[in-house]
Amino acid sequence: MKKSLATLGALAAAALFLSGCTDSGAAPEPTATTTEGGGGELTTVRVAALPIAETGALWAAMDEGIFADYGLEIEVVPAQGGAQAIPALLSGDIDFAIGQPFGPFRANLQDLGAVIISNYASSLPVSAGTDVNAVVSLGDSGITGPADLAGKRVSVNSLGAAGDVTIMKAVQDAGGDPTTIEFVEVAFPEVQAQLEAGNIDAGWVPDPFMSQIIGAGGTMVVHPYQATIPGLSLLTNITTQDMIDNNSELVTAYADAMSEALSWAAENEEAVRAALVKYMEIPEAAAAGITLPVFTADLNVADLEELASLAVGYGVLDAEPNFDTLIQEQ
Amino acid sequence: MATATAPAPTRKRRSANAARSARKIGLGLLGILGMLATWQLIPTLGIVSPQYLPYATDTLANLFGEMRDLEFWRNVGRTLSLWGIGLAIATVAAIVLGTLIGLFRFPRKATHTTVEFLRPIPSVALIPVAILIFGLQPQAGLVIIVYATFWQVFVQVLYGVADIDTVARDTARSYGLSKVSQFRSLIFPTALPYLMTGLRLGAAVALILTITAELVIGIPGIGSQITNALTVGDWLTVYTYVLVAGLLGLIVNLVFRFIERHALSWHQSVRGEEVL
Repeated sequence: MKKSLATLGALAAAALFLSGCTDSGAAPEPTATTTEGGGGELTTVRVAALPIAETGALWAAMDEGIFADYGLEIEVVPAQGGAQAIPALLSGDIDFAIGQPFGPFRANLQDLGAVIISNYASSLPVSAGTDVNAVVSLGDSGITGPADLAGKRVSVNSLGAAGDVTIMKAVQDAGGDPTTIEFVEVAFPEVQAQLEAGNIDAGWVPDPFMSQIIGAGGTMVVHPYQATIPGLSLLTNITTQDMIDNNSELVTAYADAMSEALSWAAENEEAVRAALVKYMEIPEAAAAGITLPVFTADLNVADLEELASLAVGYGVLDAEPNFDTLIQEQ
Repeated sequence: MATATAPAPTRKRRSANAARSARKIGLGLLGILGMLATWQLIPTLGIVSPQYLPYATDTLANLFGEMRDLEFWRNVGRTLSLWGIGLAIATVAAIVLGTLIGLFRFPRKATHTTVEFLRPIPSVALIPVAILIFGLQPQAGLVIIVYATFWQVFVQVLYGVADIDTVARDTARSYGLSKVSQFRSLIFPTALPYLMTGLRLGAAVALILTITAELVIGIPGIGSQITNALTVGDWLTVYTYVLVAGLLGLIVNLVFRFIERHALSWHQSVRGEEVL
């Protein structure tokens, strides 16, 4: 008698608890899309993208139906970085990747066949007054400008990439000695904690962390991209030589769709921010405060060549990549 | 005469058993409460900022909130199914290879160096290779899980199969038992306790690697939820899912101890008998 009463009580409690069940993973209601396509089948394309704010343009354009107009259905595969995305690209598991250009630089030096087909996002011009990423330090660190970074511990998210190269150039231009900087690898979300713990003197971060640290009393030391190569490409569209050789129609369609999607995203900032709230599950206030990059498919090859030659100058790359095979704009 | 004294000792023994198990459960609960109290104290005393290490109470409250979300249970399901498949593949492979190699002296000696060389290689170092072969799919995770779990179970089976009591083996030979009979009544019972231990250890290792693979490769599950929360700096969710990973490990361990106790109910280590 006692046992069955206890079981009944437990079941009743469970039922009450579960009656408030929610389902955050339920498929979102389909947004109204304008499909002018001729009713043909959509080709599924797997695209690896980092779960960061810049991917908002892709999500928003997908919801708007731009890729469907070109007969493409995008399956976004979340990758944690170029170290996962490039091997997956080369194995054929994913068709395209959206990543920073340094990964393809290194892949090209080893003849692995990674090709940049167009741009995705670039940093802001000097006229914008701010930029998408910055080197920040705590308010009481005594670091006010790039020259002060000489001899300090500075963190970047990934050693031997565009971060250290542009920071070293910015320090050199300001009159400091870039070889005395000790670069440490710290992931963006952990920079604030490491600054407060005193393990690093300054850190390179994008939004939302840039705004968070500055808002909490930190100092904006320098915008390395803007200070060295304004408008430098942040992210590019990457695929393999195999895809271009064997599936050139798909690559052209994707490049065209991406170009239209990026122009649309540049005009419709609100839609991009709404996509961030929906897909990254961040609050609206946070999405509203993120500094968005310039979304454009126009690739500035001269900037990339300058980045590569700076990298070779600082010893980050052994040699300059072959830009003829590396960049094949569609 | 002897029967008149029999009821009294059994009642005393039953209550002694009950007291012992009550004390065991009590001490276990005390340990858990102690750990939670230490966790709560660390941000309260400011040893670590509460921004980066949320309070134990907040984390538990968030956990109960998450448990009402169906997507949470889907993620638990995804992690457990990947774990289960990986464990199953590794166990079958380990039993087959362990038995074949362990039974005969030549293969055992020949593979010893190779085994000792391959065993310490950490599976996470194989992640780029796994992605290169399978892409960003769950199969890439399976490579990682199976590689590490296999060695755990394999080594146990290897030693179990080789640990046959010499007297028993000679008895079996002198009685003229067939190879099949020998396997069934001599090798299998000797190896079973080793296999059960290997399975229990392997289950824990498989769970660790499942969550690691999800964390690094981005396969949907508990691990990928941790990474997503890390990317936006949502430490509360990070620690909630860390707690979930710990709880899963605890449940897996309890289940396998239960299975071990029942599969080995005949063995003297479980029965507590004296071996004469």
